[in-house]
Amino acid sequence: MNKDSQMRAAINQKLIEMGERERLKELLRAKLVECGWKDQMKAQCKDVIREKGLEHVTVEDLVVEITPKGRALVPDSVKKELLQRIRASLAQHSTL
Amino acid sequence: MKMENMSLSGLDNTKLEALAQDIYSDLVEDACLGLCFEVHRAVKQGYFFLDDTDQESMKDFEIVDQPGVDIFGQVYNQWKNKECVCPNCNRSIAASRFAPHLEKCLGMGRNSSRIANRRIASSNNTNNKSESDQEDNDDVNDNDWSYGSEKKVLIRQMDNVLFSLPGELSSSVNTDPYKYNYNTGINYETLGPDELRSLLTTQCGVISEHTKKMCTRSQRCPQHTDQQRRAVRVFLLGLSATSLPDSNTAVESDGYDASDGQVLMSRLQWDGSSDISPSDSASSKASTNNSDSKKPKKKKKTSLNSTGGGGGGSGSVGGSSSQGCLAGQANRKKPKLPVPPAPSIYDNLN
Repeated sequence: MNKDSQMRAAINQKLIEMGERERLKELLRAKLVECGWKDQMKAQCKDVIREKGLEHVTVEDLVVEITPKGRALVPDSVKKELLQRIRASLAQHSTL
Repeated sequence: MKMENMSLSGLDNTKLEALAQDIYSDLVEDACLGLCFEVHRAVKQGYFFLDDTDQESMKDFEIVDQPGVDIFGQVYNQWKNKECVCPNCNRSIAASRFAPHLEKCLGMGRNSSRIANRRIASSNNTNNKSESDQEDNDDVNDNDWSYGSEKKVLIRQMDNVLFSLPGELSSSVNTDPYKYNYNTGINYETLGPDELRSLLTTQCGVISEHTKKMCTRSQRCPQHTDQQRRAVRVFLLGLSATSLPDSNTAVESDGYDASDGQVLMSRLQWDGSSDISPSDSASSKASTNNSDSKKPKKKKKTSLNSTGGGGGGSGSVGGSSSQGCLAGQANRKKPKLPVPPAPSIYDNLN
């Protein structure tokens, strides 16, 4: 387990160093906006805010409510494409 | 570093897949977190709900989905079945046909066949000086008011005004300037002999059957033949055969032969009427042809016999300016012969 987590940390670090992680993140954001995921999530946020009241809503409230819904609402095509990109970059790094 | 590389390559696919999944979920979580921060800031700054419309407006402008109506709720062919009353002919016309109908009815559009309308109008007003010149108005109809046609109309008006300058017609100039704006034709009945002569030297002059007006186009106007022009001159100026500058050589020879004897006669009679001619030429200012042609005639009357016979003399008179010959003979004729009764000869010519 330790080895795995160590390894993971190392790989993550490498991704960051290569700038690959940043690229992947931007790619994901763009795709989510394109497919309308962001607007959906904003509507969800509106519900949460109306529920909790405009003045007293905190970041934690939003995070707790939104994150599981967000994970579930990502379209399959976006998910598949991103996984493919990740595997490709991992493979690329393994050859270096 | 090498250790990690080796370990990566050493991983089997499931672990690799799990690794990829982990990375993916991390990325999604990052995205969600970013969104939450964004929304929270918008809420706290107060601009989160700005792009919403209130419920009332949403209901007012809701999309309409009924048949026969567009999404705004307007009926598509509401005005198709409406009928309008034309102010010109007082007929009830369908709305979609109203504009083309107006164009034809008022005679003002491009496809409106204005000539027909004007003929009808002019046949009602034969005494008034309404338009009889068809050429310019056709052009005005077809062109979208180009400068060229405007110039033509102006030039015609100038010509008409100039021809009416002589003293007898001063009254007619005063009364008819507004009519000349329409580029009116000439009514031969109201013109004196001098004006007729000067007109006929430069204009076609053929009298239109419809309007009884003289054609104001050039001597070569394609609407009338030379025969018509000659007939008009005969009718208006007396029974002197005239030759036109653009006639055939055969015709010219006839003209020469006919005018030969008459030039001789005119030469004899000019001595008596020499007093008349300068005053006439002075009165008709615009027709410099007359004054120019008369002087050489006077000079050449002695030399007529010397220069190759009457043909050469009449050639100088008839060829160069047949208008002058015409005018000279008309000048001679008018004081001597009584004016033939107008309607009868006109009927014969027709």
